[in-house]
Amino acid sequence: MFSKGQPMPFEALRERLLTAGIAPQHVRRYLAELSDHLDDLIQAQRDAGYDTEDAEIRARARLGDDDDLAQAMLARPALYSLPARAPWLVFGLFPLAALIGLCAVPVVLLALIAGGHAQSGGSAPPWFQDLTLSLVFLGNWALPPLTATLFAVLASRQRLPARWPLIAGIVLAVIGFHMQASFPGPHSHGGSLGIGLSFPGGQTGWLQWLAVTALTILPAILYRAWRRRSDPIPG
Amino acid sequence: MTANPSFMSGVPELLVLRLLQDREMYGYEIVAAVAAATGQVVAPKEGVIYPLLHDLEKEGLLRAQRRPAGGRTRVYYTLTSKGVRRLFDLTDDWTRMTRAIQHVLKGPAHAV
Repeated sequence: MFSKGQPMPFEALRERLLTAGIAPQHVRRYLAELSDHLDDLIQAQRDAGYDTEDAEIRARARLGDDDDLAQAMLARPALYSLPARAPWLVFGLFPLAALIGLCAVPVVLLALIAGGHAQSGGSAPPWFQDLTLSLVFLGNWALPPLTATLFAVLASRQRLPARWPLIAGIVLAVIGFHMQASFPGPHSHGGSLGIGLSFPGGQTGWLQWLAVTALTILPAILYRAWRRRSDPIPG
Repeated sequence: MTANPSFMSGVPELLVLRLLQDREMYGYEIVAAVAAATGQVVAPKEGVIYPLLHDLEKEGLLRAQRRPAGGRTRVYYTLTSKGVRRLFDLTDDWTRMTRAIQHVLKGPAHAV
């Protein structure tokens, strides 16, 4: 019923509910249901003989104002999201668990491939070494920034203060896992793949660590800038 | 609600569960059914029904399903078996409460 170009009738309500901590899926469905309900009410008022403007005003009054609609939602603790209820858990501990989980997948995959070939008595195929080194490179360079981006997206969905994805980024940068792989030579058997905590060594190691750290914290900085532009209250 | 909110605690839940026992409905239909069934005595701001429905669904008392209806996708709510048990419990509570209050309202001579 509301024409294009007009502001969405529940936009302010959406921001209020998300900022207060209501789970995004409940907010999305609530606003969709309210929108449909408002359309039904407007149609009912028109059918009762009111012109469009009066019908919209009367329909909105029956639906409730933003305060009524927000309070009804905010009074229900079950509808709040976990990131809003326990941000220290989600942005402090989950990044570590996510990183371990995401690192474990390629390591297990490689171990299965190598183990399968070892059992059959042969050596790993030629592409195995390339695959391993590629996965190690991705694990060290791409995984922490990508994981940090996921946490920044999670924070943005809930309109959380920017300090939370920043904490997640710092946790990922500081306790980021450093995978290493080594192969003795192109014509010899064996090799090793390691995963664990390590401090960077040498100038190159530190430069690499600094670069990964900057990339890992970048999503939180971008999120903070976005928040500042869309909301005058700093996060 | 048209009555004192503190006296209405649990009433919307009871009414919604009872009305959904008869048939599945979407929000607008539920509000209309509540108003019709109570002769407009219970007439909340209509939008506030949805947080209650979400809460009841989260508790497992209702099941929500999106379905096309009249050119739009509606969220239909259905009572679950857990919802039926809650309805029976609430009905018992409400019946005992109203009996007790009726007893008091009949006058001091009848009061305990």
